[in-house]
Amino acid sequence: MRSRFKRSIFFVEKHYLLLLAPLLVFVAAIALYPLLFSFYISFFKYRLTDPNQARTFLGLANYINAFHDKTVVTAIRNTFVFVAGTVSIELVLGLGLALLFSGKSRGMRVMRSFLIIPMALPSLVVGLVWKSLYNVDFGVIPYYLKQLGLDMGRGPLGEIKLAMPAVILIDIWQWTPLVMIIFLAGLKSLPREPYEAARVDGASRWQSFWRITLPLLKPTILIVLLLRTMQGFKVFDIIYAATGGGPGTATTVLNYHIYTVGMVFFKMGYAAALANILLIIVAVLAVLYIIVLQRQQI
Amino acid sequence: MLIILALLFFMLPVYWLMTTAFKFGRDAFAIPPKWLLFDFTFKNFQDIWENSQTPRYLLNSIIVSAGATLLSLLLGVPAGYAIARSKSAIINASAYFFLLLLMIPPIAMLIPFYLVMRNLHLLGGYAALIILDAIFDAAFVAWMMRSYFQDAPREMEEAALVDGASPLRAFLSIALPHSLPGVAASALYCIIFSWNDFLFALMLTSPRTKTIPLGIMASFSSVEINWGEMAAMSLIAITPALIIALFLNRYFVQGLTMGSARG
Amino acid sequence: MKRPRHFHSPLLIAVLLGVLLLAACAPTAKRPVEPSQKTPAKPYEGTELTLASMTDQYVTAFRYLIPKFEEKTGVRIVLDELGYVDLYSKLTADFVAHTGNYDLMTVDIVWTGEYAQNKYTLPLDDFMARDKAALALDDIMPVAWTLGEWEDAHWAYPLAGYANVLNYRKDVLDEAGLEPPRTQEELLAYARKLTDKDKGFYGVALLGAKGPPAAQDYMAFVQQHGGGILDADGNIAINTPENVEILKFFGELFEYAPPGATDYWWDQRETAFRSGKVAMMEGWSIARAGYENPEISSVVGKVDIALAPVEGMKPKYGFGGWGIGINADSKHAEAAWAFIKWLSSPEIQKEWIRHDGAPIRRSTLEDPELNEAYPWFPILLESFEKGDGDYRPRIPQYSIIQDALGVAVNAYLVGEMGAQEALDQAQARVEENMR
Repeated sequence: MRSRFKRSIFFVEKHYLLLLAPLLVFVAAIALYPLLFSFYISFFKYRLTDPNQARTFLGLANYINAFHDKTVVTAIRNTFVFVAGTVSIELVLGLGLALLFSGKSRGMRVMRSFLIIPMALPSLVVGLVWKSLYNVDFGVIPYYLKQLGLDMGRGPLGEIKLAMPAVILIDIWQWTPLVMIIFLAGLKSLPREPYEAARVDGASRWQSFWRITLPLLKPTILIVLLLRTMQGFKVFDIIYAATGGGPGTATTVLNYHIYTVGMVFFKMGYAAALANILLIIVAVLAVLYIIVLQRQQI
Repeated sequence: MLIILALLFFMLPVYWLMTTAFKFGRDAFAIPPKWLLFDFTFKNFQDIWENSQTPRYLLNSIIVSAGATLLSLLLGVPAGYAIARSKSAIINASAYFFLLLLMIPPIAMLIPFYLVMRNLHLLGGYAALIILDAIFDAAFVAWMMRSYFQDAPREMEEAALVDGASPLRAFLSIALPHSLPGVAASALYCIIFSWNDFLFALMLTSPRTKTIPLGIMASFSSVEINWGEMAAMSLIAITPALIIALFLNRYFVQGLTMGSARG
Repeated sequence: MKRPRHFHSPLLIAVLLGVLLLAACAPTAKRPVEPSQKTPAKPYEGTELTLASMTDQYVTAFRYLIPKFEEKTGVRIVLDELGYVDLYSKLTADFVAHTGNYDLMTVDIVWTGEYAQNKYTLPLDDFMARDKAALALDDIMPVAWTLGEWEDAHWAYPLAGYANVLNYRKDVLDEAGLEPPRTQEELLAYARKLTDKDKGFYGVALLGAKGPPAAQDYMAFVQQHGGGILDADGNIAINTPENVEILKFFGELFEYAPPGATDYWWDQRETAFRSGKVAMMEGWSIARAGYENPEISSVVGKVDIALAPVEGMKPKYGFGGWGIGINADSKHAEAAWAFIKWLSSPEIQKEWIRHDGAPIRRSTLEDPELNEAYPWFPILLESFEKGDGDYRPRIPQYSIIQDALGVAVNAYLVGEMGAQEALDQAQARVEENMR
């Protein structure tokens, strides 16, 4: 074994580099230009539909304007609420489901397969389906809630206070099964020795879950957190189909606003700047996750 | 009990959509809801059979999903292994580059991507969509498999290395076979991502290479949504995904038995 | 270490490249080559056109008519049916990148100004001047030209005209002893009278969802009160005192609409009316035939149609619909024009209507046979004669106006802000994004 301090930062193992290289080359060839373009254009005023395709250099003005833009501030707040709500609930629920559905029997297998249906539907369709289920005049959900004597007002998507939780529930419905599948794979890779040792020591199932399973699952939890946080920040289809960001601005998330700026106003420079702000927020969160969850490993 | 509750929560909206596929328009939104007793009809399926190219969309979706998934696994699994096992700072750091890629809102990159694909003369074919899906899929697979390999016991690989096997050999004949549950989960993710991708498919396909989500969304006119047709096509769309999931599910169980053999 | 083992990785790359190549080669579709019999009658034989069509009802007519055109001319037309969500984005990408994927496209009336300003579509005036004799231009309803006309040039040709009309439940109004409302005040009064919340029955169905629905329905009511989104000089004037009053009126109407109406899209408004929950609904004339179809409607035989109620002005009625344009980047403009010419000819227009198309010609609207099949055509004709295609400003900045109004009107309806504040913000949002 080479000792740690001998390695320079330029040290690479050739055989591992060879395993990595195809992906690196592929990504660089296709994604680098769009990445750089999106970064570059964020410093310009550039209207996509401008017949002359004129670009005026603005420096940091797009970024500075963003923080004076009321809609952006609201959208960032809504985005955080959405991400916090979906990620935390999906994490807990997904792990619970994984433990619940980890059986080996054929019946379990079939049930697990059915759970992937929500993911297999296009998110736009999911949004539309739930919009219909939520509709207070002919939707299924308010119908039964009204039978229970609840006053539904304008319905889950019509009331400002209910809209965000209602939208969060849609995301949970569609993506918790994915979290479950990642956890299932993670659970299967755990070594058995610690559990046997714990059993010998007379630990309860709850204790061994808390002391062994959870710590061992840390890398899987990290993956789930990263994946769902990133996708949460990028949520678009569900919002587009179910609420259009309404009522008022109750469910306007940042990515939805970026769509409006880019594809309705065609202000590509500003849209790119907003996208980069979103990127920075997610990146900071990702680094935090990684630090907190991997500290012990390093 | 909990299992039944969970299944009810996840399956009832699906059931609602499925029954809508067999209903006449007037019954879709009847109050009280018609869960079981409604006029059963195949009209919606007949209409989409006659008026749209559903089998074609389905075939396109299968080609794109399979292509993107295979490509992503080919690229992503070795990369994930390299990152997990390497002690090099540069190789480890590349993981964060892939992560960055995953964070970018697709809308911001759509126009430049579109231009790149146009310049490569790939617009309208399967390749553009496969490549684009695979970039995001493969970056995710690399991350997923990295964490998976980090978790997995490495005694056997180390033993093989001591016996004189190359790291590539250790990867191909020891680490890879033992990580099939992770590969299966990654594959499922890739398939799902490509299968219901709407935005990229909308921009990059031609009428001949349209995928099934585009077919579904065509039921959305400026005046109304044809719920019957949308539901019928959704039902057709989820069937292959369901079959694949059933198939891949075997690997989760297989992984378990291997894990016990290991211990 | 055994060196030769490194072989695996180049192998991997080779396999990869193979996959990529295969994928790149896959889409070359083969079409049977037909023996060409070039006759002067088929000058465009063998040309292939791609038509991007909205999936409105008229797509059925396209499906029926295109094979006939193909047979007659030997031109092949690939019909790409796109939903409302997709068409605009996909076309914009095609125009901006000058890819010319689509030769022909359906163009929403409200895109006119934008398409004209950016020269996305081909001005058709040269074609029209050349073929004037064959086009029977005088027969096309004057208002139909708003489907594509901008500053004395035609960027799209009239395809499908929609009139904003009032649909009402004959049985319900008869029972209450009411004639269909003729003014906006009557509309409100009748809506109030006919609403019975305990029975879950409401006076009127409206569009309140954030985005295009709230914006467009509000603009329809502005039009019906004789107001406008643009002032006399064509400047955008959203927050005028008149418009604030109209917004309050619109909000009052919602008290007699189903409680979920603040998040209705078009399809949900239709569902509300078809399921028999409401007495009156304003909407596009093209939905009319659907109410008599027992598969989708629970109100068969109970519906009638009237002119939209208007207040305090010389009657004008909201007009909308779709034109058909030729991509400025199309390589087959002549063949594309031949299709438009054929499609809009009086004889073919009758077939177009019979297969769920929408009218643009006086001769079709007055055709006795068609009037027998569609007894509401006289109402349509009158709506068209006094049609107003500009109540949704067809200016290049339309999408910005629609977005700002979509936010503001919905915010007012759900009580997030007052009427004046909402429209002030809309005005500010428009001005800010026009820059």
